[in-house]
Amino acid sequence: MSSTAAKETVSCTVDGIAFEVPKGTRMIDAAARTGVDIPHYCYHPGLSAPAQCRMCLVEVEGAPKLQPACTAEVQDGNVILTASENALKAREGVLEFLLVNHPLDCPVCDQSGECKLQDYTAAEGRPMGRLAEPKRIIGVDDFGGDVLFHGDRCVMCTRCVRFMREVAQDERLAVVQRGDKAVIDTFFGEGLEGNIWADNVVDICPVGALVSKDFLHKARAWDLDRTPSICPNCTQGCNITLQVRDNQVMRLKPRPNAEVNGHWMCDFGRLNYQWVNRTGRIEAPLVREDGKLVPMSWSDTLLRLANAARGQSTGVRSVVSPYAANEDLGAVRRLADALGGGSGVFRVESGEEVVLPGFPQLALRSDRAANVRGAELLGFSRAGDSTGMGGLEEAESFDGVILVLGDDLEDASADFGQRSKLFIYVGHVLGGAARNADFVLPSTTFAEMEGSFTNVAGRVQRFWPAIQVPGMSRPAWQILGVLLSGIIDIPAPARPGDAFATLGDLSPAFGGMRFEELGAEGQPLEYSRR
Amino acid sequence: MTNDDGKVRKIRPRNPGFAGITGEFDLTEAQIRGTDYVGARPLDGGHPSVAGTMPYQLTTRAPDLPLFEGEYLRRLEKVLSRYEDRRAALLPALHIVHEIRGYLPPEAMDEVAERLLLAPAYVRGVATFYTMYNLQPLGRFLIQVCTNISCNLCGADEVLREFLEQTGTEIGEISENGLWTVLEVECLGACGFPTAVQINERFFESVKAEDVPAILKRLEAEVPA
Amino acid sequence: MLSEHFGDPEARTLEGWEARGGYSALRKALGESRKDIIEEVKKSGLRGRGGAGFPTGVKWSFMPKDSGKQHYLLCNADESEPGTFKDRELMRWTPHQLIEGCLIGAYAIQASHCYIYIRGEFFEATQILARAIEEVYEAGYAGKDVLGSGHDLDITLHLGAGAYICGEETGLMSSLEGQRGEPRVKPPFPAVSGVFKKPTTINNVETLCAVPHIVNNGGEWYQQWGTEKSTGTKLFCVSGHVQRPGNYEVPMGFNFREFIYDVCGGPPDGRTIKAVIPGGSSVPIMSADELDVGMDYEAMISAGTMLGCGSVIVMDDTTDIVKQVRRMVDFYAHESCGQCTPCREGTAWAAKILRRIEDGWGTESDLDTLVEISENMTGKTICVLSDSAAAPITSSIEKFREDYLALIGAGTVETARSA
Repeated sequence: MSSTAAKETVSCTVDGIAFEVPKGTRMIDAAARTGVDIPHYCYHPGLSAPAQCRMCLVEVEGAPKLQPACTAEVQDGNVILTASENALKAREGVLEFLLVNHPLDCPVCDQSGECKLQDYTAAEGRPMGRLAEPKRIIGVDDFGGDVLFHGDRCVMCTRCVRFMREVAQDERLAVVQRGDKAVIDTFFGEGLEGNIWADNVVDICPVGALVSKDFLHKARAWDLDRTPSICPNCTQGCNITLQVRDNQVMRLKPRPNAEVNGHWMCDFGRLNYQWVNRTGRIEAPLVREDGKLVPMSWSDTLLRLANAARGQSTGVRSVVSPYAANEDLGAVRRLADALGGGSGVFRVESGEEVVLPGFPQLALRSDRAANVRGAELLGFSRAGDSTGMGGLEEAESFDGVILVLGDDLEDASADFGQRSKLFIYVGHVLGGAARNADFVLPSTTFAEMEGSFTNVAGRVQRFWPAIQVPGMSRPAWQILGVLLSGIIDIPAPARPGDAFATLGDLSPAFGGMRFEELGAEGQPLEYSRR
Repeated sequence: MTNDDGKVRKIRPRNPGFAGITGEFDLTEAQIRGTDYVGARPLDGGHPSVAGTMPYQLTTRAPDLPLFEGEYLRRLEKVLSRYEDRRAALLPALHIVHEIRGYLPPEAMDEVAERLLLAPAYVRGVATFYTMYNLQPLGRFLIQVCTNISCNLCGADEVLREFLEQTGTEIGEISENGLWTVLEVECLGACGFPTAVQINERFFESVKAEDVPAILKRLEAEVPA
Repeated sequence: MLSEHFGDPEARTLEGWEARGGYSALRKALGESRKDIIEEVKKSGLRGRGGAGFPTGVKWSFMPKDSGKQHYLLCNADESEPGTFKDRELMRWTPHQLIEGCLIGAYAIQASHCYIYIRGEFFEATQILARAIEEVYEAGYAGKDVLGSGHDLDITLHLGAGAYICGEETGLMSSLEGQRGEPRVKPPFPAVSGVFKKPTTINNVETLCAVPHIVNNGGEWYQQWGTEKSTGTKLFCVSGHVQRPGNYEVPMGFNFREFIYDVCGGPPDGRTIKAVIPGGSSVPIMSADELDVGMDYEAMISAGTMLGCGSVIVMDDTTDIVKQVRRMVDFYAHESCGQCTPCREGTAWAAKILRRIEDGWGTESDLDTLVEISENMTGKTICVLSDSAAAPITSSIEKFREDYLALIGAGTVETARSA
């Protein structure tokens, strides 16, 4: 398309509001610009539109029939009425039809509370049904993987079939039979097992027909608090919401971001959240006294640590976690620099890269941690093998300062850090060689703090705290920032933005970026200089 | 005869005597199959333009014959040459399976999917859309009785009932002797000659309930001992 | 005209067809410009015989000219509207008439390939048509460089597999492409993006059969029959309670009452006509006192029904209207492709209600519900299958309400048990 054609606009009126849209805009998208959500099932912005649910019918003045807003393009001068008597009656009719064979089992349905059938029926449906006939019964089918199919709740929007065909490009679902016997099904025993994008069909199912086994009956939708975040499980950095009840993460859902993950995310990332809820966390700062680790207040701990660290000049060996935020990693780098400098490593599990064929900028990346790119930019180098083990040789027997952030040192030898002058451990759980530390400082995970990750494509993206911190845990950037201010007398960062602002000094890639300007969808590195 | 504007109109009423009211089931089998005129077609489908149109609801069954080998493979290749998209050969490919097996077993759908580079679930979705594909084995003779409006007005319900009674089956069941499966179907496009009954690939027209025993007897006689 | 050679087995063969003047139209057409052929067909006033009655010449003129793309002609031989059996007869008796029409049509719209999508059940007609197509390839009427004209015209016979909805033109395209026969949203119209996303025209068998006659004799000649807007002759399929059911070729505009009573012999002896469906099961039912209309597109519309594909179903006074309407709605429920909600759910629900009324367990409010369901099924879907299901429901409730009321409250323990 030439640039002039792209700029061509047509004028239209939606429910009395006149405005212009680019030529070729579909009515449903045009209406959305005025804040009108035209009810719909089969339409999904990430998929083709078959116009088959007939829910989005709108009245266009002068047109003999109601038009499906999901496929009808706005023509110049269209007067679109989304809530005219005819449109409302058509939608009421469709809703009644959809409930003909629907079991009305909202009390036991996981979708209840975020169900489009429930919402629209409450808003525009008939107060009473007229059905006096027996309903068709299909029952429950295990589709394999994490997906369970409740056929009776299905509204046959075929979003799932189209997702598997168009986006996953692994057509494992099909509409089988026809008419009112039509049902979504797999090829006999061959289900969704093995396709890592399968759970997206649960997200896009507008009703409770496709549900997650992992989430099955775990929480009601209205009890969940939703916090925007970033999937920590690979370097792609899919935008997600963390959905939390009673301070427990219940599930991850993709959050649309056209630049990163579209509307999708993989099952590997989605189902790998239980570690965020792990118990047995370090809840207070621990300081070694007479060979024992004893809990202490933050002020006492940091005072002692600053005293112990001040004047150290034999250098630092650090081991950091690629799950740590940019701000945390920057704080480690600055502290190490203040104590004579030295190398730092991170260890990361890696595996096969799996691209989503219909949206190829999204893949389950081979490095299975969110902030590998950030760690590299901030001067840490990769160590160890593809299982995330090994590579600790240099730190292990170092005789200066050892600083560990987030890495749980599972495979470290029993005498890790025994020869060091000072061994500082900042992390979540105390196990193995971490017990050799002189100072143990409880820090937060990405789910408990505000901060940012840098993804594989160099996009810096923010996340927000979704659950309460355990005990006295604090973000590492804060802990190390206060410590540093006690050592070299500079102001401690008060907010994550302060910590972020110092990253430009450590890596020019971050130069000129402002934390507050990252927004909900992030910004590419060096965006301000482009 | 004149019309509103006074113009004289020619009328050519055609009597349907060629097919229906003479009672087509009295015709020879070759006449009913159309083979008296056409003759038997080669297994490889003949000319590519028509290769995909062999009768596929036959009484013969070959449970162990490979599906796409020899003449059948040649037929499929001819079919493929007629479309710009490989997928368009799906219905003809399923016809071939149906012709050989008498129904579409899952393994065969899988094989068709592989041949045409389609997903097995897709093939299943298509196969189940069309009513002429049997999805499980049926009796040797599939008796499809039209009970749609035109036939229904002329006693199709009785014809259906008679077929069920005479074969001792319920709708969709295989009779004990393995010969019969009776189905109620939609309009067969022979409404002027009610009741229309399709038995495998053959049409029997103007069938009355009292004709049913004779039809069954005649079919039974076709089964090799 | 169309049915002249019905019953004449020799007309089936190429030799016999040529002896009856066959393929002279094709020769003539290939010597003319495409524009002239389309103009001639426009002039003839020929309208699509599949049911919608859209002018054929105008439809052809929608096709892009010299687009450089492959164009396709699709012949819709998926005849399955209840009450219709004309195309089968045309194909089994005069296969070459259809093939000649296809070849001319393909030439006129710059299609080098014509697919004839024939209903899967029509094995006999398929075999006859297949033999005829092989003959035209042998004779050089089809294939590369037809009759030395420099034009390639291919024909492929494609066999369906049992789905009424494939008679809908976009459903037919889906089916031909190897998909479920699901109709598609228009736009894009087939002339822009049809089968295999290429410009496509879809014509009914009877329409294409008329084309050689028009090419041979001219558009004006064709206008001698019929009315001003509905020209030519048409095959009418008569079934149900009449003395002489069958196919009749009559000029458009013929008086309907005269047709049923005089031409077809009226109802069986001792019975009277109660209702007539004039155009296949998809059109509104007429009561016996509404029959004084012309058999053409306009007159039928002004009578509140439609000519459809000319399938006349006659019902006499013994007819149980509720049962027949229920049977028709069962049919639509069975044949609904299942895409659109109003059709998928509405047809099946209406059928259930009708079944309950038939069993004697209906209430008067069920009739209101049925009418409202029908309203919600009309004009709300991708194709018109659900409109077709609604038409007999609303028209029968309007015209034969007493038949319904007679059943209401008639439920007994026996009917309840059997239901």
